[in-house]
Amino acid sequence: MSTSLTPQAPIRASLTIDATVDAIADATEWLGTLAEAEDWPMALKFGLELSVEEALANVVSYAFEGVDAAPMIRLDLLELDGDRIGVRIVDNGIPFDPTNVAEPEVPESVEDAKIGGHGVQLMRHFLESLAYQRLGNENHLILVTKPKTT
Amino acid sequence: MQIEREQAGEDVLLKVAGRLDTPNAKPFEASLLEVVNTTGGGIVVDLAGVVYVSSSGLRALLVAGKAMRTAKRKLSLKSLQPQIREVFDISGFSTLFEIS
Repeated sequence: MSTSLTPQAPIRASLTIDATVDAIADATEWLGTLAEAEDWPMALKFGLELSVEEALANVVSYAFEGVDAAPMIRLDLLELDGDRIGVRIVDNGIPFDPTNVAEPEVPESVEDAKIGGHGVQLMRHFLESLAYQRLGNENHLILVTKPKTT
Repeated sequence: MQIEREQAGEDVLLKVAGRLDTPNAKPFEASLLEVVNTTGGGIVVDLAGVVYVSSSGLRALLVAGKAMRTAKRKLSLKSLQPQIREVFDISGFSTLFEIS
């Protein structure tokens, strides 16, 4: 995927959440409030909310296994050029690059279908770009939507 | 998330409304499996009231679908809103379930 992102982009708003499944709802509510205030198109909001949830589900489920440091998860809404919305998700868990996750095979039957693996597939579909960096002891995942006007 | 349950002949109709997201996925899966384990006919899941689904919600349906297939019973879905249908299409789930 393209990575035309600007890691140094100014931060417009931030939210810190707990590393729990229930705290994912705090993040989606936060995005919902921003979407309403800024009148984001419905399809863009749906895709971004879904992508952020999929990313956070991975983080809260796997990032802090065996990590001694207190878990930290922060979301930054980024000021981007153009007509796109960017969200950076930062956590201090174990290194994990979702952009390296292989596409799951298309199952032919319920019996063959594997449980899981569809989150990154959905993120790739709904986002224009998904980029990962490991900076110090932090994972930085930057999600950029498609333009608002298309 | 709300689930209403109706008996429709030998089948159970589950009308689901709200968000099938990660926080709701476990309760949703438990509700589905409770119906799988305590009834003997088919199950129809009506998703007309569902406004959001993530991969966790898909997973819950797949777990129930696998249990139904093992029991040689039918689980089908109906009335998906366009954005919900898109998520099913992208993940390949549209072909796994009978959808009306």
